[in-house]
Amino acid sequence: MAEIKQEPISKTKLNYIRRERTKEMRQQMVSFGLMIFLTFVAFGLVAMDMDPSFVIPIVIGMAFLQVILQFYYFMHMKDKGHEYIKLMMLTGMFFALAFVTTFIYIVWIGAPIQ
Amino acid sequence: MANMEYNVPSERWPAHPETATLEGKNKFIGFWTFLAGETALFASLFATYLALKDSVPSDDHLLAADLFHLELAFVMTMFLLTSSLTSVYAVYHMRNNNFSKMQLWLGITVLLGLGFLALEIYEFIEYTHLGHTFRSSAFGSAFYFLIGTHGFHVCIGLVWITLLILRNAKRGLSVYTAAKVNTAALYWHFIDVVWVFIFTIVYLLGVM
Repeated sequence: MAEIKQEPISKTKLNYIRRERTKEMRQQMVSFGLMIFLTFVAFGLVAMDMDPSFVIPIVIGMAFLQVILQFYYFMHMKDKGHEYIKLMMLTGMFFALAFVTTFIYIVWIGAPIQ
Repeated sequence: MANMEYNVPSERWPAHPETATLEGKNKFIGFWTFLAGETALFASLFATYLALKDSVPSDDHLLAADLFHLELAFVMTMFLLTSSLTSVYAVYHMRNNNFSKMQLWLGITVLLGLGFLALEIYEFIEYTHLGHTFRSSAFGSAFYFLIGTHGFHVCIGLVWITLLILRNAKRGLSVYTAAKVNTAALYWHFIDVVWVFIFTIVYLLGVM
């Protein structure tokens, strides 16, 4: 079942692990700050009523950047042992982009029903 | 699990308690596979929304630019983004074998999630009063189905984390409960990932 197969960790090793965790927490705080910043910029750009053809690509790019930060830092995807997970998420993202692209093509660009 | 050890001393607490057992490893792999499937689910809803945006039967229906408020979407984003950070704190304390702080941060996550949900319900009620309902137009159906599915996920996440807090309150932390907390935190982060695309594609692009 689910017993712990953990050898006792020495005090030095424990301190080391904890320091590494605190370091990781600092990275996560930085990525949170970046995410807040990206959100502010995205809302700000839209609120300033600029040219949509300029704002739309920037805003969508920032959404992808924010999601990458979320996956890599908040969901620990940067850690070891996430190879299978990257494969799964990339497959999911592939289908996601395929769905959106095909729908946009059919409805907006292709305009098959006049 | 009769032989499960709770409140393990820190010298014997694994560095990655959530994947220290076979069950934990299986949960981790299985849950990420589920999240990949959820990506495809939400993508199909996003595609439907983009295709049907502003498709209304007559001129007296409100369009996206008339309906959406940036202020409300911004406050909702802040609630959900902050709750994502607080669940990071919960996982941090779980790995540091600090049960009470983990419970505290999970509780704060639930409160922020409830705030988000309350604003979303307020938003839906307001739109319904303005005549923008699930049945009023193709735009309405696509909008409510996309945002509603996300809101439904928030509800599930809130019930899930609340049940974890209550169920673990007496028994404490073990490699068994650590895996559960980690899975719930991953789900909560994924809800925030979906919301990032919702506020960008639905609200920001909607008001332009």
